[in-house]
Amino acid sequence: METALKTENLHKTFKLGFIPKKKAVLKGISFSVIPGEIFGYLGPNGAGKTTTLKCVTGLIFPDKGNIDIFGRPHLSLEAKEKIGFLPENPYFYDYLTAREFLRFCSQLFPKKTKIKSPRILELLSLVGLKEVADLPLRKFSKGMLQRAGFAQALIHDPEMVILDEPLGGLDPIGRKELRDIIVRLKEEGKTVLLSSHILQDIEMICDRVAIILNGEIINQGSLQDLISQKVLFTEIVLSGVEPQELTAFGEPLSTFGGRTLLKIFEEDKIDNVLRLIHSREAKVHSLVPRTETLEDLFVGIVKNT
Amino acid sequence: MKRPFRDGKIHPPFFIVLFLLVSCGLFMGLKIHIDHIPRKSIPGASVIFIPSGKYLKYATFGYSSLAADLIYLWAIQYYSDYSITERYLYLDHIFSIINELDPRYLDPYEVGAQIAAFEAGDVNLALKILDRGMEKNPDEWIFPFEAGHYARNVKKDFNLARNYFYKASQIKGSPPLMRRLYASAALGAEDYQTAWNTWLEIYQTTRDEKIKKLASNHLYQVKSAKDITLLQEAIEAYKKRYGHHPSDLEQLVKTGLIRAVPRDLDDENYIYDPETGNVESVKIWWKR
Amino acid sequence: MKIKAIALNTFKEAIRDRVLYLLLFFAAVCIIFSRLLALLTVGDRVKIIKDVGLSSLSFFGALMAIIIGTQLVYKEIDKKTVFSLLSKPIHRFQFLLGKFLGLVLTLFIMMVLMSVIFLVLVFFHTFTLEWNLLAAIYFIFIEYLLVTAVAVLFSCFSTPILSSIFSLSFYLIGHLSWGLETLINKMSPGLGKTLFRILYHFLPDLQNFNFKTEIVHHIPVPAKLYIFSTVYGLFYTFFILTLAVWIFRRRDFI
Repeated sequence: METALKTENLHKTFKLGFIPKKKAVLKGISFSVIPGEIFGYLGPNGAGKTTTLKCVTGLIFPDKGNIDIFGRPHLSLEAKEKIGFLPENPYFYDYLTAREFLRFCSQLFPKKTKIKSPRILELLSLVGLKEVADLPLRKFSKGMLQRAGFAQALIHDPEMVILDEPLGGLDPIGRKELRDIIVRLKEEGKTVLLSSHILQDIEMICDRVAIILNGEIINQGSLQDLISQKVLFTEIVLSGVEPQELTAFGEPLSTFGGRTLLKIFEEDKIDNVLRLIHSREAKVHSLVPRTETLEDLFVGIVKNT
Repeated sequence: MKRPFRDGKIHPPFFIVLFLLVSCGLFMGLKIHIDHIPRKSIPGASVIFIPSGKYLKYATFGYSSLAADLIYLWAIQYYSDYSITERYLYLDHIFSIINELDPRYLDPYEVGAQIAAFEAGDVNLALKILDRGMEKNPDEWIFPFEAGHYARNVKKDFNLARNYFYKASQIKGSPPLMRRLYASAALGAEDYQTAWNTWLEIYQTTRDEKIKKLASNHLYQVKSAKDITLLQEAIEAYKKRYGHHPSDLEQLVKTGLIRAVPRDLDDENYIYDPETGNVESVKIWWKR
Repeated sequence: MKIKAIALNTFKEAIRDRVLYLLLFFAAVCIIFSRLLALLTVGDRVKIIKDVGLSSLSFFGALMAIIIGTQLVYKEIDKKTVFSLLSKPIHRFQFLLGKFLGLVLTLFIMMVLMSVIFLVLVFFHTFTLEWNLLAAIYFIFIEYLLVTAVAVLFSCFSTPILSSIFSLSFYLIGHLSWGLETLINKMSPGLGKTLFRILYHFLPDLQNFNFKTEIVHHIPVPAKLYIFSTVYGLFYTFFILTLAVWIFRRRDFI
């Protein structure tokens, strides 16, 4: 099966400072992205996420290793025609309007991919910038710039979209809207590779992930495989029973307005508590089983290394 | 303490305004005072210290003719300022810099020579500047022409003037006046043969009636000068021999001092005064 | 086509730079001031106006080329606009060439503006259209091309301030070829002399484009010299641009 992206053993060392001090940023990165999936590339700040993505898009040249995009060498023009890139904290030409900027971008593609004004307008509507299409980019807020960046990455209808921290700095509504766009892209058959350190977003939309730490991939696979579905503990909010009475079952955490939050670790204790509440004719306000989140996994991994 | 913010406008505190006014008044007053203090230095006079040399031109990074213009403009102001009493000290140096920077810039040669000859009283410097002009601009007749004038009228060196006017006349495009000046200067240098030949040539070749008349007058003048010189020499010799002037010019022939008594161009006799021994021509050549 | 798009984009950006108009203003002031300056001279007034005019065009144009040129690529790298551009299917050399040509177009417009002011002023003094002044202006423009290429070259790897200093040094060295030549003539023959001679031929000789003096004095210049100087300028520019492309090719954009 052809991969959308395949990186093999990428190494990159930077020489920084006046007296060049070597800093190894990528120490043998290998992962693949399957066509049609949303792939999450996560790690803490400074792990090498952006460096990897820049290697893939030809902005940085790795010392060692191989990168193939849809089977073609990543630096070839054909490969670049198939990808769209949204850099982190995008910044574009101040004095151009959104429409003009997209038109400029459209001129950088070969003539055969005809990109005309209706497409530009359609894209601007998609990312929610239709009203400000003729506003100069210097007047755009960060969120608006992010959306404009999305638009320029999609302008030529690429098969794969590479997003570096696409949801950073957006308000909750913006995040939802862009998450929806990403999901829609997958529905259209596109491949998405996105990097982030906001784990909740990754958890919501990604099919597979790779975790990078200190320049090495320490874990990769489908979300389901990585995060066990095991229930870690259950949280019950109840009222009508004194906290002291609940200590036998678990950890009473907070008490507010007569309600107690009880954390139960053993599954069988849940039934006991429920029976107790029922017998006292007390009230259960909520019952939430907490499974392992990506955050838990991540923190666990980082702590271990 | 008054509030600086009132009625939506911000009024600067009183002290700031006072301070501004006081300091402004102070520095303006000081400026007036300083202007009255006489200053020794002349603005721009550091030009004097620019070394001259073949490569000065290139040290201006391609702006040599602009530099020449600016220094020339400065020089004009400098030499117009009569309060600078020692301004002629560097005349040669300053104008040589200007000429080196732009050898084809003609005005500075002329003006420099003028300042040298008439204001600094150094006609040799004037000629030096004009010589430089001639060397760098061999097609310009104006330089030898002016040099000839300075040589003749200021330095009173007719031989030098003659050479300059000859040079000027040889330059393509020079006006015919040059030949005439050459001829006149030759006469002044007592080179009668050249003067005669030149005026004759002018007489024969010109089509202008006025010039023709002028040439003939000059021919008259040359002949007269030549004849008179000859006669005066003979009269002196006679006086030496016989102790007194001859009674008339025929005496000179009889005593073998001259072969025949010359007559002027219009075939008239010269006027001789036995008392003084002076010979004159009948006509004044330019009133002929 | 892609080069054209980048060139036009660069042009639109450069033409908005207020520094350009400030310099244009100063150039215009100098040119018009020459009219006043000419009143102080004894003799030929037009020469002063022509000299100041051509020198202003040359000086302020070079300044524009250096100031805008050194920012050109640096700004893209610094503000990271280059990321979204170079991840698209264009060659890096197309990007550089586009930026260079965009700046050249900008300088051309500026030069036309300055020239118009200059030629109109000259016209009011001589009442003739002096076409040979256009020849001097044309060569000033060729000099701009070289200086721009150098500014863009330095802009690829250095900050604007350092790049400006280097570019200015290039301009000054270009006018001091004669110094090296004098030095060479004074040396005794040998390896040193040969090396210096090679250096002399390699370093740019911007005096080849300086016909200001001849044209103001109406001294005829052989057509051969014009043609060879133009070709020299174009080839040298090409060389500098190729150097820039080489440096820019494998540059990592961190």
